[in-house]
Amino acid sequence: MELGSGANSQRDREVCVGDGKLCCERRVVVFRSSGVLCPTIAESPGSSTQRSRQNASMAADASVKPCQMDRSGSFFKLIDTFSTEISELKQEMVQTVREPDTKLLQGLEGEVSGLFLQSSVCTGAAGVRDSGYDSLRRRMSVLDRLTHTHPVWLLLQLNDEEAKHILQPQPPGTFLVRRSCKLQKKVISLRMDADSVPVTVRDFPVIESQYTFSLEGSGISFADLFRLVAFCCISRDVLPFTLKLPEAISAAKTTTDLEEVAKLGIGFWDSKLFQKKKSSVTDGSAVQQRVKQAVQRTSLGDNLTPVPRTRTPSQLECSQSNGALCFINPLFLQTHCSEPASTETDTSAASGENCALSQSSSSSTQGKSHTRPQSILRRAISAEHTRNKGINREKSLSRSPPPRPPPPRTILRRPAIPVKQKSMPETGVSWIKMPQEKTGLLGRLSSSFSSLSPSSSPPKKISSPIPMPSCHGKRAPSMPDAGAQLCHLALEDQIIEQAVSQSLAKQALRNAAMESRSPAEEGSPVGRERLSDISISTSSSDSLDYTHSFTLPAAASPARADSSLEEEEEEEEEDDGVGVESDQELSMEPPFKPKKRHSAGTFVLPRALKGHLRKVSDVFNSLMTPEKRAVKRIVEQSQNKGTYFGCLVQDYMSFMQENCSCHESGLELLQTVRQFMTQMKSYLLQSSELNPPIESLIPEDQIDQVLEKAMHKCILKPLKPVVEAALHNFQVSSGVWQQLKENLALAKTKQPQEMGVDGAMPPDPVAIEKIRHKFHNMSKMYSPEKKVSLLLRVCKLIYTIMEDNSGRMYGADDFLPMLTYVLAQCDMPELDTEIQYMMELLDPSLLHGEGGYYLTSAYGAMSLIKNFQEEQAARVLSSETRNTLHQWHRRRTAQRSTPSVDDFQNYLRVALQEPDSGCTAKTLQVRPYATTEEVCQLCAEKFKVHDPDDHALFLLTEDSTQQLAPDTHPQKIKAELHSRPQVQPFYFVYRRIQNLSLTAPADEFNGNSVPI
Amino acid sequence: MAIRELKVCLLGDTGVGKSSIVCRFVQDHFDHNISPTIGASFLTKTVPCGNELHKFLIWDTAGQERFHSLAPMYYRGSAAAVIVYDITKLDSFQTLKKWVKELKEHGPEDIVVAIAGNKNDLGDIREVPTKDAKEFAESIAAIFIETSARNAVNVEELFQSISRQIPPLENTDVDSNESFKITRQPLPSARRCC
Repeated sequence: MELGSGANSQRDREVCVGDGKLCCERRVVVFRSSGVLCPTIAESPGSSTQRSRQNASMAADASVKPCQMDRSGSFFKLIDTFSTEISELKQEMVQTVREPDTKLLQGLEGEVSGLFLQSSVCTGAAGVRDSGYDSLRRRMSVLDRLTHTHPVWLLLQLNDEEAKHILQPQPPGTFLVRRSCKLQKKVISLRMDADSVPVTVRDFPVIESQYTFSLEGSGISFADLFRLVAFCCISRDVLPFTLKLPEAISAAKTTTDLEEVAKLGIGFWDSKLFQKKKSSVTDGSAVQQRVKQAVQRTSLGDNLTPVPRTRTPSQLECSQSNGALCFINPLFLQTHCSEPASTETDTSAASGENCALSQSSSSSTQGKSHTRPQSILRRAISAEHTRNKGINREKSLSRSPPPRPPPPRTILRRPAIPVKQKSMPETGVSWIKMPQEKTGLLGRLSSSFSSLSPSSSPPKKISSPIPMPSCHGKRAPSMPDAGAQLCHLALEDQIIEQAVSQSLAKQALRNAAMESRSPAEEGSPVGRERLSDISISTSSSDSLDYTHSFTLPAAASPARADSSLEEEEEEEEEDDGVGVESDQELSMEPPFKPKKRHSAGTFVLPRALKGHLRKVSDVFNSLMTPEKRAVKRIVEQSQNKGTYFGCLVQDYMSFMQENCSCHESGLELLQTVRQFMTQMKSYLLQSSELNPPIESLIPEDQIDQVLEKAMHKCILKPLKPVVEAALHNFQVSSGVWQQLKENLALAKTKQPQEMGVDGAMPPDPVAIEKIRHKFHNMSKMYSPEKKVSLLLRVCKLIYTIMEDNSGRMYGADDFLPMLTYVLAQCDMPELDTEIQYMMELLDPSLLHGEGGYYLTSAYGAMSLIKNFQEEQAARVLSSETRNTLHQWHRRRTAQRSTPSVDDFQNYLRVALQEPDSGCTAKTLQVRPYATTEEVCQLCAEKFKVHDPDDHALFLLTEDSTQQLAPDTHPQKIKAELHSRPQVQPFYFVYRRIQNLSLTAPADEFNGNSVPI
Repeated sequence: MAIRELKVCLLGDTGVGKSSIVCRFVQDHFDHNISPTIGASFLTKTVPCGNELHKFLIWDTAGQERFHSLAPMYYRGSAAAVIVYDITKLDSFQTLKKWVKELKEHGPEDIVVAIAGNKNDLGDIREVPTKDAKEFAESIAAIFIETSARNAVNVEELFQSISRQIPPLENTDVDSNESFKITRQPLPSARRCC
């Protein structure tokens, strides 16, 4: 609740442009995508208008007795009342530094991306006064704290003894996450309390399955390790008690503090920082005191009776917006509700208010659901505030970007569920009452709205949160809690009432909601996780400011039919976007389907909103599954030359782009690409460049697949056109292309019987055309796995045709001749390189499976066609083909050995600097231990320098130029430079020695040469 | 339990019932873990063996002479090969001998060879005496069994004896590591549903 809020709305009033409806719809999107949690709302001029209207009406409703309001009164009257309220409030409120709100008018895209890319860069900004209120509001969630400090507690390499050694002297609840050799699993090592003597440290195994992490024995799973741990910090679940973060972490106010802690890594446990903080644990009460005061101060005369309480994480941190958790088992809700009742010594009303307060003050988005109408105004303001906060965040980020922004996630923005768990039953009573109150409220509001002006109704139209009908039925059996049940009944009522009282346009949106209903209904039980979302967004309807949020039902089912978002994502991914997803019956990668079922990332969007979502592409970031996020992060890193991995990839790219035709054959070209991908995969696994480590995001058994996917995206995707062209050129120049074309033409004239088909019905021309189309789509894919999955679809189609006409199962005796016939009929010589591409680039681990089988069959069929004429004569394949096959086998099996780190460094980018013509850069293949002398020779050759003796290799950094001695190793120098904590741009430059005096300005290079 | 994926290659003349045997094996005994494949040329089935699960990835080959040259692609990397002949066709037994020879020369080193005399139910028109086949199998240390895909005779047993011949992974330590590696890269076929 900052000064800013008042001013904003004042200003908002002046900005009255734009199509209200559109704006609102946009805001719907934004709200939803942010999980209703971080209302850094996109501020388009129009939406500001809307907001101020809503604020106004809320203010009216909350504080000015609506009956006193002249219902036909003007809009500005409302506004005036509102601003008076605001200014009164301002005086009551603790003022924090107000950020200039110039950013408010930023474009939607910018806002949204800001929203997602920064996750929660919080409080860090210098100059934010700790007013007590601030510490209550601590903007960092447990999750943030954990994410920032993982080097301290995520110590996968630690063995039993070391873990014990660290944890022994710690208070109970202290924990580490490591990988137990004994169990071959990750475990949470927890310092037990005195009761459990003699066992001081116990390990709780973490179960990793299809993209989820959970504790053994617990039904609650999470998208990644951080969320799991964060949850355990808040709720004990199957643990004897909750995990405790070291005070240095839990009390840190800024990200800088956390980073300082993180820097210590394992050393933290012995460090002074830790010791010091430990001793000050008792001072924790001071914080509580302040919290309490703040609560009092901000309570606005609510009948809150602050009782000193132990600060449990759930009361502070978890009420923070970002402590988002997913996959909550509703069974748990029940057990948990009863538990904290004793600690919340307050009357239920007071503590309910408490919760709501802390929520509304920190992440007002949540608060609204439980608070009574009186507090609407406050919420409205805090909403304003939160918006500002979001902007502050953005600002603070731009000022000092954190070294590694935690990954953007939806779930992150989702409400802190534990709060829900606690507060729901407590506020249950008021919830049940609410509908009546609200009917009146809404009725009044709607009438006052309609009286304002015809055009001012839009906010209301869109304002209905999309109900989540499935939740009720779904959850009921597994949530026997009567209170909760009632809540939901109440919610349903509410929905209905709203539906009645609101306008037609709203109905339209409702229809959209209906559309989204079915997939949710089919959904797996995981849909329950949405409990929090549901209750929040539904009940939020009493606060108009939030009514723009709607619930996207978690599409638990794959829901392909309706999942055009998915399609879109796929398209995005493949961006050569073939609408293949539409008829995708089989997916190459098994994790796909389960993943979709589990992940929080899959939403089915009401069709009506799809268009809007498309516009805010960044929203997708937050909807991504863990796999997609991991892939995305790797891809980003591959494009960032600041990382060693990025350098390797980019160097390789430029090398391939320049030297694709240098390979002896297409085969060799593909092999080097495959080898490079395998090497990069193992580099990513071995190095610590991925931060946080991929092990914490992706279950171990999925890592390889995720890395493979990432390699396809960051290496094959950009290289595909180059590789394809090169493969084709090789074929043309070797005469294979011509021969293939001739033989295909010949084979096409043959009857099925001549191709060995016996009995089964061959596909008719229509089917052949369909198959051709599928093959055509296949050739657009860059991922060999996607290609193979399309090939499988073709095979499936062939089977279907064969079986439909005879009703029997066909083995290879019938299938292979038919496939040969079909390939001949398709008459697509380009398929040959397609098959080659797949065979050489497909992940070796997939070669034994179904994909490998049909790929082999296609390869076999194609070689038969290639040798068709010979075959006619000799009836056998040339021994040459046979040898090739043997070699292929050996090669592909041999490749599976792990490459050495040395292999990663085979490329070096060198710029030739000439006084007259500036710089030309080339990527050269340079062995790791090649000397500068050798590199110079290579340069002379490549750059066609006539007087190599006058040239030398120089290392240029921003402020120095250094000639390299002939016996040094440039690759080693490069590696050394890269391993420095702060990588400065540097260049290897090959130039005349005489030039030494003229130190070239660094700028000159920026244009022409690429940093290495 | 650790899952080991075993590639099994089916060889033999066309018409001897290679795919019938496998279809019988895969389709009998409804298995919840069964993952449907797109067609009968490639089938999978998981069976328990000791404290391991063996997942058979069964690669069928085309028996016609013209496809003979493609066979190396199919049997490479196989843990086992099932060579099928028709007890009512002497020719198919001759072909079997050629396959055995080829496997010895070009096949994977430790490949388990199983010889299956199919169409056991047609005993009255038998051309290949059991004794001859059995002796031949013993001479090459291969599994020998006469089956009837039609009557579901000995089909299960055929694969059970292959399972038994697959050496178990050695000590427990290696076991856990190995099994981890194996499950870590599940083949896509495992869960494809078409």
